[in-house]
Amino acid sequence: MLNAIDKELLKEVADLEGIPKGAYNIRKNGELLGREVSANINIETNEAGNGIVIRIKPGTVNESVHIPVILSKAGLHDVVYNTFEVGENSDVTIIAGCGIHCGSSQSEGHSGIHEFRIGKNARMKYVEKHVATGEGTGKRILNPTTKVFLEEGAHAEMELTQLGGVDEAKRVNEGEIKAGASLLITERVMTDKNQEAESKNELLLIGENSRANIVSRSVVKGDSKQDFYVNLEARAKCYGHIECDAIIMDRGISQTIPALKALHSDAELTHEASIGKIANDQLMKLMSLGLDYDEAVNRIIQGFLK
Amino acid sequence: MIELKNVSFVVPDEESTNGGAPKEIIKNLSFIFEEGKFYGITGPNGGGKTTLAKLIMGIHPVTSGKIFFKGEDITDLSITERARKGIAYGFQHSARFKGTTFRDLLSIAAGTDNEDELIKIIARLGICSIDFLDNPVNSKLSGGEIKKIELATIIARNPKVAIYDEPDTGIDLWTIGPMVELLKREKEAFNTTTMVVSHNKAFLEAADDVILIRGGKIAYEGDLEGAKPILEDLSVCGFADVCEGESYAECYR
Repeated sequence: MLNAIDKELLKEVADLEGIPKGAYNIRKNGELLGREVSANINIETNEAGNGIVIRIKPGTVNESVHIPVILSKAGLHDVVYNTFEVGENSDVTIIAGCGIHCGSSQSEGHSGIHEFRIGKNARMKYVEKHVATGEGTGKRILNPTTKVFLEEGAHAEMELTQLGGVDEAKRVNEGEIKAGASLLITERVMTDKNQEAESKNELLLIGENSRANIVSRSVVKGDSKQDFYVNLEARAKCYGHIECDAIIMDRGISQTIPALKALHSDAELTHEASIGKIANDQLMKLMSLGLDYDEAVNRIIQGFLK
Repeated sequence: MIELKNVSFVVPDEESTNGGAPKEIIKNLSFIFEEGKFYGITGPNGGGKTTLAKLIMGIHPVTSGKIFFKGEDITDLSITERARKGIAYGFQHSARFKGTTFRDLLSIAAGTDNEDELIKIIARLGICSIDFLDNPVNSKLSGGEIKKIELATIIARNPKVAIYDEPDTGIDLWTIGPMVELLKREKEAFNTTTMVVSHNKAFLEAADDVILIRGGKIAYEGDLEGAKPILEDLSVCGFADVCEGESYAECYR
């Protein structure tokens, strides 16, 4: 059953007011809390018993699957291996996310390894939110890994968001993109206090006319630290773009290390990166519209992370 | 409406460009801007026009002197407080954002996100497309688009005092006429005290009163005819290299 904390966490990570409609798998404190399959979406525990396999039938359109994880048990470090097989010509939305509630001095963590195999001409939108709450002093640790394999003509859009409370995050994103396929990753991370977040991205454009676009937006508050790495490697005629922007507030520090590797003469790769404080002209503009300084900062950050 | 009393603005040592010595940008300037009048503020570059406009908005603090708004001393008020009292400011170089849309800015300016209200405002500007509202206010916008957005955010506030710093920067010659008409219309409809910092003849012709600022002082105040001999005197332009195309032919630098 869901208690008040569970409900709050589910709402934060998956916008769920309770148990969702359609296919879902809810994991709480390392155990299965509830599962529902649909005619086109099957979910079963994997052979090793340490995760789930989600199979989406070819041609499944306009369906979604929720797979949130919630954690509120002191000292628990949960590790899962989930596999997604998205059938050819399907168009689905997967809503994942992890919410940690820490009420003690013991650390809590979740490492989710998600592997996606996206069939020919299939489209997938993957939405993942990470949050941590609670009055406890224990560290909240989230180390997600996503591996995406896109077949010809497939399209994947991944929205990865971590907007507060997570003390340590080590993210790894890997992608392999075949001919005519495209991958768009948008990562939004806000850290505060002494939090640390690291994101490592390895994207391979292996097929002709494949595309990759990775957008990173970071807000680094307090004494926090964020590092962002991307390796974008092109092995065919393809397009790739990296855009990473970080806003530094207080005493935060940030590193951005984008790398472009064109191993084919027709590859087109670009990147833009910026790190800095909130621009003064933006603040002046909003203040001249009647907002005070703090309101102006909030609006700029909200827009930036939207 | 706005009274400047012995206003001076001195750039501190560390910010000055002349080798570290303090520089007086506005020198003991006094003036009364009357309610509902249209002022064209012009003069040579570096003369202090923009600085004067920024002092009124509170973007720069005055070094000495006082600024009054409807008789109330606003010298020590912040930008926000002045904005809330009804002073609005159009920046020459509009801020570009990441992730903030025209709709966001307009909602802040208008104090409502009601779409019908926002549409009424953009209709006043002659923007017909509702889709335009969801344009991100980023570096991809053209000079003309960003200027429309800047104007819209000022008009949305129905200000008592509207200050426009070179509103014709980055727009084509054909857009200037409608822009002048718009400012005049808004002035009539809301009795807005309007100040336009500009070199452009079109704005100066529309003005009830032309103020020529040179060397941090008012060198002339009156109708455009009277200002012409002085402006022509100043027409040996030191900024020809940054001036572009047709707008140069229409400008009094």
